[in-house]
Amino acid sequence: AAMSFLKRFPPPAEGVRHQQPDTEAVLAGRALGCGTLYIAESRLSWLENSGVGFSLDYPTISLHAVSRDLSAYPSEHLYVMVNAKFGEEETKEAPMAEGEEEEDSDDEGEPIAEFRFVPSDKSALEAMFSAMCECQALHPDPDDEDSDNDYEGEEYDVEAHELQQGDIPTFYTYEEGLSHLTAEGQATLERLEGMLAQSVSSQFHMAGVRTEDSIREFEDGMEVDIAPVVAGQFEDAEVDH
Amino acid sequence: MEVSHSVKERTIAENSLVILLQGLHGLVTTVDLRDESTATGRVTNVDAFMNMRLAEVTFTDRQGVVSRLDELFVTGRNVRYVHIPDEVDIRATIERQLQAIHRVRYFGGRDKGRKEFPRAKHK
Repeated sequence: AAMSFLKRFPPPAEGVRHQQPDTEAVLAGRALGCGTLYIAESRLSWLENSGVGFSLDYPTISLHAVSRDLSAYPSEHLYVMVNAKFGEEETKEAPMAEGEEEEDSDDEGEPIAEFRFVPSDKSALEAMFSAMCECQALHPDPDDEDSDNDYEGEEYDVEAHELQQGDIPTFYTYEEGLSHLTAEGQATLERLEGMLAQSVSSQFHMAGVRTEDSIREFEDGMEVDIAPVVAGQFEDAEVDH
Repeated sequence: MEVSHSVKERTIAENSLVILLQGLHGLVTTVDLRDESTATGRVTNVDAFMNMRLAEVTFTDRQGVVSRLDELFVTGRNVRYVHIPDEVDIRATIERQLQAIHRVRYFGGRDKGRKEFPRAKHK
């Protein structure tokens, strides 16, 4: 019954940051078999060699860690704590039996599922951990109300304003953003940078960024980081004033 | 801690107390998590979403079981409290982090740079 969340699906084909074969998966102390762990940008997946497995969505993952403490668990592994009653993520059913097996029955707090991914190659743990950090960072909390991250309007969100969106769920670092530019996008970027560098004295508004002084655009000199771009993004830029 | 390459992350950091957490880089810090477990370890990274990466961690789960973890990544959403070490001068730390951001921003010479964004509006 506890195995009922295992399903057959093809391994992820895109955005796989790390793939670790010969990895055992353990849920709440119960071994699920040996297979391959796929750390992909969209989700974390594990597929047993027989072809069945499961996936975890990053927003449900509270934390992950490298454990080499053999007194805590007899094998070095990647520990993943999931903030969910496991078994209901793919289908909407949440068999209570599974939930209770995973956590203390007197648990009044949130559901927690503890996974351990035990690679046969222990030296891979660092890479697995880092890949997960990177993928996790691609999924910031959409429900984040506490922090004042919703820089709306003229203060901050250039790209959001142009795309007529609110908060952007993901963003690129400079390197990633550049890699998403087509040649046309790159040319557009350079043209705009040049434009901004030239307009010296007057107030210049670009798509919601209040820039009484910021003529020289966001970055001087070498510091890279133009705001994340989508190819063709600036083509319809409105100059608000 | 190295300043983020992302304009967005720098702006978020500059306008929130995440900047203080980023200033704890290298320090042993205790983080209380939302599920009431705690993690004590050396801060190796804090991003603008308060995702935290710690090394050499003593982890106490919510049942009180203690274990060691070489590295831990906890999502910002699951951080409840961060215990600022006593020896940390909070104001100086924030100022130092702001200076680091401004150094990045004003690359190209003193007084030649521009503020990326004026002070955040009060919401």
